[in-house]
Amino acid sequence: MKVLAIDSATPAASVALSDERRLVASTLRVDRRGHSAFMVSAIDFCFDQAGWVPEDLDAIVVDVGPGLYTGLRVGVATAQALAAAIGIPLVPAVSLDAIAYRAATGHRHIWSVVDVRRGEVAVAAYRPVPGGVVKDGPAQVVTPDVFRAMLESDPDDVLAVGDVQALPDGLLRGLHRVKVGRPRYPSADVLLEVAAGALDKGEYPHPDEIRPMYLREPDVTINWSTIRPESPWGAS
Amino acid sequence: MNPTILAFETSCDETAVAVVRGREILSSVLSSQVDLHARFGGVVPEVAARAHTESIRSLTHKALVEARVHPDDLDAVAATEGPGLVGALLVGHEFGKATAWARRLPFVGVDHMEGHLFSPILEHPDYAPPAVVVLVSGGHSQLVHVEEWGRYRVLGATIDDAAGEAFDKLARAMGLGYPGGPAIDEASEGGDPSTIRFPRALPDRRHDFSFSGLKTSVTTFIDKAKASGDLPPLADVAASVQEAIVDVIVDKTINAARDTGARIVGGGGGVLANRRLRARLAEACDAEGLRLVLPSPALCTDNAAMIGAAAVHWLEKGAITAWESTVDAGRRLG
Repeated sequence: MKVLAIDSATPAASVALSDERRLVASTLRVDRRGHSAFMVSAIDFCFDQAGWVPEDLDAIVVDVGPGLYTGLRVGVATAQALAAAIGIPLVPAVSLDAIAYRAATGHRHIWSVVDVRRGEVAVAAYRPVPGGVVKDGPAQVVTPDVFRAMLESDPDDVLAVGDVQALPDGLLRGLHRVKVGRPRYPSADVLLEVAAGALDKGEYPHPDEIRPMYLREPDVTINWSTIRPESPWGAS
Repeated sequence: MNPTILAFETSCDETAVAVVRGREILSSVLSSQVDLHARFGGVVPEVAARAHTESIRSLTHKALVEARVHPDDLDAVAATEGPGLVGALLVGHEFGKATAWARRLPFVGVDHMEGHLFSPILEHPDYAPPAVVVLVSGGHSQLVHVEEWGRYRVLGATIDDAAGEAFDKLARAMGLGYPGGPAIDEASEGGDPSTIRFPRALPDRRHDFSFSGLKTSVTTFIDKAKASGDLPPLADVAASVQEAIVDVIVDKTINAARDTGARIVGGGGGVLANRRLRARLAEACDAEGLRLVLPSPALCTDNAAMIGAAAVHWLEKGAITAWESTVDAGRRLG
């Protein structure tokens, strides 16, 4: 089975190809504002390296977030277009899962962190199990202070992974049971592993159900001063 | 050569997909977000970008089915590159680029305003340069001299609000809904446009517009008239407000035709769906012996067929956009 994975949920954008679970080509670039210039040319580059053509693909995996909204939309739009144009299934993967999956620990409770801007982070907890991790609670968007409180109240030893650098300096100071680890960002090669189960079982949601995982309502500013509450002519 | 092009337009609040063959529209579908944004009194960029992402896949399918075109029959893919809202633009541009790559087709990034500028050609095959084109929408108001396709000189533009923006603000001042253009068009039905003479700005600048002062005049007038108890009927005020905007657009368009010697006047943009503006432009062009070519109202507002029409030109010129290209939210014509 030939699979393409694409990830642009964080400042790191990446593309990976695998054939029968073996990594064939991959490329990654860290540039928060450059995802749309990177994505299709990176896919083109990887296919060139692998000697593949688009019709060779059997499925596509895309990181649906949480993460940076614009990056998520670049990834999801690209994946949706490719899947539709080639006529193959699309599998969603979660950024926090990919980061936790790559975290190296045998016993620590894993907290995965993704920067979602506006002074907040998306976090989720995981437990290590042989061969991977299992989710230990829902993904949620919190302020750094709330995240610190969550870590403080965790009775286990903790490994914090992901974009811990996005947190304010010194936020984790004094938390002696918390160790900070890698990776900082999710990447397409890890998505291939995270999605392997769904790919093997053929668990494909309807493509219209595959949407960026925003976890927040859009910010809306209404300028009330420009809106007259009622018509000068009264109700008509 | 009549290439078959799949085109995308997502620069603002309409997700639009079309299939054109040469200058013929095979399909043109869109998912309007007007109702989504209406409660905010204007377009919310993040809401727009989310809605594009949700509807573009199924709309593409719909456009191909309605056109009865198999993806194998496509010759190119086009998408709006700018100007517009960056988050919104990225969705259509990325979707278009990836579709082109997967089908191994050339991709053409198109200027949104150039799309409007080409829009009359979809219904008027005789539309050709040299021409003067008036582009008036929610985000832009400009007069362009089309010397030849691809060579544009912007003669003038708004120095503050775009015409469509002015309609929105004035509609609010009159307690009407959003979007303002259609609301004022409707409210002015049967009204007398000569009831109140609101100021016409920048009389000495032949090709430039200014609409921001109008809001103050209208608000002041309404407040004073209401206080003194002689507020004219809404239809008369709305018709007078509309006339002030229409007058300026018509006068400057005719100035541009006279100054360039162009005998064809084209137009594009959502404000040109306004019935009074269309009628007055037709009268003025008739009086000057000019040929006026306006798109039908559905092609005045944002659509993807116009992006396809402009792409035909660039494809013929061999101007293919690279995979590493991206959107340009501040792009300008000329």
